[in-house]
Amino acid sequence: MNTVLRIQPVRVSRLTVLRVTGGQETKGAYIYMVEIQNLTKYYGLHPAVQDISFTVGDHEVLGFLGPNGAGKSTTMNMITGCLPSTSGTVLVDGYDIAKDPMEVKKRIGYLPEIPPVYPEMRVRDYLTFAAGLKKVPSSERKKQVENAMERLRITDVQRRIIGNLSKGYRQRVGFAQALLGNPKFLILDEPTVGLDPTQVMEVRSLIQDLAREHTIIFSTHILAEVTAVCQRVVIINKGKIRAVDTIANLQRSTGDDLRLKLKVEGDMTKVSAIIGDVPGIKAIEEVTVESAGVNAFTVAIESEDVRKPLMTALISADCMVLEITAVQASLEDAFVKITGSGKQSREEAFEELGREMDAQREAEEAAKAEATDAANGKEDKD
Amino acid sequence: MFSLYKKEVQSYFCSPFAFVISALFLFVFSLSFISGISNMDSSVMKFSFSNIFYNGFFYFIFMIPLLTMRTFAEERKSKTETLWLSAPITVPQVVFAKFLAVATVFLLMMVLSLFFPLVVQLKGNVIVSSLICGYLGFFLWSLVCIAVGMMMSALTDNPIIAAVLGEASMILLVFLDNFTTTDLVQSVPVLSKVLTWFSTEVRFGAFSQGLFSLADLVFFISLTLVVLVWTVIVIEKRRWSRG
Repeated sequence: MNTVLRIQPVRVSRLTVLRVTGGQETKGAYIYMVEIQNLTKYYGLHPAVQDISFTVGDHEVLGFLGPNGAGKSTTMNMITGCLPSTSGTVLVDGYDIAKDPMEVKKRIGYLPEIPPVYPEMRVRDYLTFAAGLKKVPSSERKKQVENAMERLRITDVQRRIIGNLSKGYRQRVGFAQALLGNPKFLILDEPTVGLDPTQVMEVRSLIQDLAREHTIIFSTHILAEVTAVCQRVVIINKGKIRAVDTIANLQRSTGDDLRLKLKVEGDMTKVSAIIGDVPGIKAIEEVTVESAGVNAFTVAIESEDVRKPLMTALISADCMVLEITAVQASLEDAFVKITGSGKQSREEAFEELGREMDAQREAEEAAKAEATDAANGKEDKD
Repeated sequence: MFSLYKKEVQSYFCSPFAFVISALFLFVFSLSFISGISNMDSSVMKFSFSNIFYNGFFYFIFMIPLLTMRTFAEERKSKTETLWLSAPITVPQVVFAKFLAVATVFLLMMVLSLFFPLVVQLKGNVIVSSLICGYLGFFLWSLVCIAVGMMMSALTDNPIIAAVLGEASMILLVFLDNFTTTDLVQSVPVLSKVLTWFSTEVRFGAFSQGLFSLADLVFFISLTLVVLVWTVIVIEKRRWSRG
């Protein structure tokens, strides 16, 4: 269970983060596990990553979300020190990757997009080698390797040559490698790519499990994964940060209207008329025939208070309501909106979103300025 | 660093790679040996092992790029270099560990070739001091080649291209000596003098004659170090310019 700290609002790109989960307060100053400031990378004249800033608290799982080619891997390579940045700083546990690369590298475990495994080696030999490379004392190596193999369930293939393993197993060997040396901070670049559904579930629960001892950043373009594992997401596109927020906030900011799904027994036109008469109903968006005499209505409403008069109206007209559910705006909607598709050009969509979110943040900031704690409670207010 | 060294040496023996190259090495060596003893001057019955290296090093330098071609090119191709780039180990340490590993494998091959002097010792007389000197000279010379081969491997992500580049640069190194004696170069005394400093063949020749000189030892070791430092720069440069 993570503690929620109230801290000074942090300016991140154009957006402001009001809430940071986890972390530790030292000498009055807030120390993040990872702090990234104005990170920029140019490949020649082509900007791969531009002016990225975000922070990760201790024991937090941060999703790094973006379409293919958005700059996710480049950013991760810069955080791990594989790739020097053009400008900007990366601080891990207070150490600068440019000035103290050894200290930073001791603290990170990295699973790149393509697992860095040597195909001619055996699983166990490879992991022992990787442990040595990470300066694990030789007395602990055996224990740590066995531990990592157990966690990733690859103990039964430990004698096999990596080149003969399937993609899923190779991915897991790479993952096991990242855990060696007990790093505080794990960076996982698309850890579930190429795995079958059962393995994906396993990896997700493993990430949740690991979050107890480690801080994790993991990148993905699969949205369900983010919803399943992360507390907070960074959405990146075309090398720029589009949003840094909690999943709940993102979903809320996207859903303009509240929607209800009703399953009602009775004549379609009659029920439609009754629903339409209730004040506060904006529109009946969709009607589907479920079975004889039972129709499902998707209704846009103004506020949640409409539910009561709606139910009363239906029941008093003798229409049986079989089911009522609130339709949640999905993260997919947020993602599509943020990464911009549709009629607007992408750039326009981003700018608009930026303005919207800025305005929203400012309003929230003013409202919350006096509050000293209970960030959770505030968020649940609306 | 020791883990990387150990792994590099092991990986040569994980596949038939090291065995095939050792076999080739011994094959060339034994052919030279046979032709050496069959062409022996019947009046003196003398034969120099070092001459095998000296006369045949054109063959032997083709083997070193085969050993070094994969060191960095393969890692870049299969993206395994991220493993040591993200580990608490510096690039100079990586280069040095890999260099030591290749040198070890090559040394093992040379040790295998000691079989021939041993056989000769059974029936004849081997001048040990001269033998050691010849082997040492060849080994020092091959250290330079290993470093050059590794640098070429760091330049590209294709092992075959790395091998070809390595061979080309080693041939250049070998012919530098012949080049300095051409009229063209001789006409510019400074150029000829500078190039002679860097020519390896004369120094290697001295070793194969049984002449051990500290200056030559220092020359080979410092040339190796220069090329290794260059390799580190090449790798760092690649990191900075492109992912």
